Parts: sequence; C-alpha cells; structure tokens
Amino acid sequence: MKPVYILSSSAISPQHSFEPENFLHPVKSTDDGKLFVVDPDYRQFINPVAIRRMSRLIKMGIAAGMNALKLAGLEKPDAIITGTGLGSMTDMEHFLKDMINMNEEALNPTFFIQSTYNSVNGWIAVQSKCTSYNQTYVNRGFSLELSLLDAQLLLNEATEREVALVGCFDELTDEYFIVKNKIGYWKKQLPQSRHLLKESNTVGTIAGEGTSFFTLSNKAENSVCILHGVKMIQSPTSAEISANISTFLQQHHVALQDIDLIITGMNGDTNFQPLYQAALEHTQPHTTIAAFKHLSGEYPTASGFALWLSAQLFSTQTIPEEIIYKRGATTDIRKILIINHYILNTASLMLLSN
Amino acid sequence: MEDLKLKLKQQIIESLNLQGMEPKDIDDNAALFGEGLGLDSIDSLELMVLLERNYGIKIEDAREGRKVLSSVQSMAEYIQLHQKA
Repeated sequence: MKPVYILSSSAISPQHSFEPENFLHPVKSTDDGKLFVVDPDYRQFINPVAIRRMSRLIKMGIAAGMNALKLAGLEKPDAIITGTGLGSMTDMEHFLKDMINMNEEALNPTFFIQSTYNSVNGWIAVQSKCTSYNQTYVNRGFSLELSLLDAQLLLNEATEREVALVGCFDELTDEYFIVKNKIGYWKKQLPQSRHLLKESNTVGTIAGEGTSFFTLSNKAENSVCILHGVKMIQSPTSAEISANISTFLQQHHVALQDIDLIITGMNGDTNFQPLYQAALEHTQPHTTIAAFKHLSGEYPTASGFALWLSAQLFSTQTIPEEIIYKRGATTDIRKILIINHYILNTASLMLLSN
Repeated sequence: MEDLKLKLKQQIIESLNLQGMEPKDIDDNAALFGEGLGLDSIDSLELMVLLERNYGIKIEDAREGRKVLSSVQSMAEYIQLHQKA
C-alpha cells in the first residue's frame, strides 16, 4: 500500500499545542494525576448559535478539525474519519444521571444526541459542508490507528478523493478518574506529571485527554511529512513487540539504524515498562528516544498526540528537552518511529519520514 | 403572572445555555423561534422537557406545542391554566 502525506496537523492537549507560537512551552504539570487540556478560544471555529449546546469534547474536536483544514488551506475534505476510545463522557454522564434522577422520564435530548460517538464528525461535516465518506472508529486503544488505516486504504483507491481529515478525541472527567482508580489505572502516590517517567518503579500512570486532527493526502505536494504505515498488535509480549518492529520496518524497507527518533508511549507504569525496554534494546546510539505521556497523560487515543508531535518535529527539526528520554547523536530528524502501548493491552507502531 | 414570566425566562436561559443573556433581554411577546430568539427544533424539545420537569405539564399534541412555545407570554398562560396543583 502506498504511503499517505500529512499536509497539516492540529492538537488541543494539556500542553500549549494549539497556538503555533507556544510549542510545548511552558510545560504544564499537575500533581493530582489529571491532565486536562488547555482550552483555546472555541468561538473562532464554531458557529456561535451551536456552541452553547456543545460539551467540551465536541468543542475540542471541532476546533482541532477545522483548524487542521485551515492550516492545510482547505475548506472541505473528501472524507472525515475519526477515532475515539470513550466518546463524549460528559454528555453520557449527564444523560445517565438524568435517567436515574428523573426515573427515565423527561430527559434532555441534547445530552443524548451529543453523547453519540460520531457527534464530532457530524458537526465538522456540517461546518465544512462535507457530504462524503464519514466514519468514526470506537476501538479503545486502536481507535486512531484504525482511522489512519481506513484513510490510507481510502486514499489508495482509484477515486477522485485526495484529502481525508483524520482525527481522534477523548476527554477526562472526574467520575472516569474515580472509576478507573478503583481498578488501579492511576498511581497511588501521584507524582508531578512532568516527572512521571522518573516514577517508573511503581504501578499505574496518570490520566489525560486531548484531540489531534490531520489532513492526509495521496499527493506529496505541500506535505509536512509522510506516514508510511500503521501496525496494530493485540495483547503483545515484549518479544512480540520487538519482532513486530523488525517486520514492520522491513515491510517499509527501513532498518532500525535509519530511525533518528523513537517516540514511545512510556507511561511510568512498571507493568508496561518492560515492553518498551525490550523494544528499545537494539536501538542505535545515534537514535534519540523520546516520551510524551508525562505531557498528555494516558488515554485511548494518546498516540494522536505523538503523531501531532512528530509532524511538528519534522518542521522544527529540534527535539525539545522536555520529551527526551535518552539523547542520541542524531542532529537531523528524517525518520520517526512511534511505539505506543495502551493500558488495555493494545500496542501500535507508526512510521513517518520527512 | 409577572413572577412566573420572570422565573420562566430564567429557566429558559439556564436550560438552553443562552450565554450572555438576561431575563430582561427576552421580550414577553417576542417569538422564541425563527426571527425572535432564534431557537431551533432541539430547543423546542428542551422547552418541552422544561415544562414537564418544572411544572408537571406534558404536551402531547405537536400543533398545540407550537402554539404554547411561541413566546414566554403563551408559555406562562398555558402553565397557569394547566399546572398541576
């Protein structure tokens, strides 16, 4: 399958990611185990009449999606494909609480309508007047990866479609944090989030949220970087992740020593650290190893933050100190490998080049 | 009646999340939909829920609903006539 080209990217995250002038600076750090996004001014991107009914997640998704289109100089994509692990948690919580409190009668329609997983896609389609292919994947830790794969397949077809808007979105709520805390998702002794990786000797991680959108094209013109492929691995062992990296790179005619930067989804959880250690064992001295979940927190589509980060790094050609786990000798960023593992035992690989 | 209309306007602003709007900005007789307040079909459902939750009034007939929800005045009059004791 032919690669696809990333024309633009936009992310709303717990860090300064939306405004181009504040790239990850200053780093936002919390000590309560929760990384909520830095909200931009949503009114610039959303119809003022419609915005009053929208939850935070819907606003985040629409703003990032419309901004990605704007950055690519496009008004309307040929397809809208997104992934979300959790969907609109706030609206769903409202709706379920109302069902209990109101004894399943006189329920507000808005919360129900907007709690559906494809609300963001629908709104972007309305705002961009896009009536073509529209798909939302809800597959936990593979949600974004399946969206990217679908876009790649679509753009490889012999049709007139040239650009797909692909994105992901997940939100954190206090209730979600409490529920997942009961099954041990989060660390008992919560560290300052920016020091998460220094606390990799205990179980658990920190929670996060965010949205990332990309315009993908089958034409190289005006592109920021190339997405060669995405690989998904279900319930992998350390050995399987390493073996899959080798096979994946071979499929794309790339050797491990060609990789300048590896961005890992290390989340400070001692349960998952061995998966990364095995994968990184054979990396070359010139390869820089980076991590990002101390900036984004853990959530099903956190790999979107890593993909957005990669697109930025190809443009800036500078690796910020805040993400470096182990500095390599490399000075140019030509090839990036993303290795991400999500708590529910899914792992993914993405290969990019400039 | 005046107290009811004021309360109704506050409830409309809150339930429809009409940001930056105050009760004094809503005229008693101004159309809630279309050219007046500019509400839409989802708002009409929200107003039906508002009447049911706060006043115990259930409007089953859509044509009657259109008349009742045309303004704050018509809503208040309908509430006075039909509110359960």
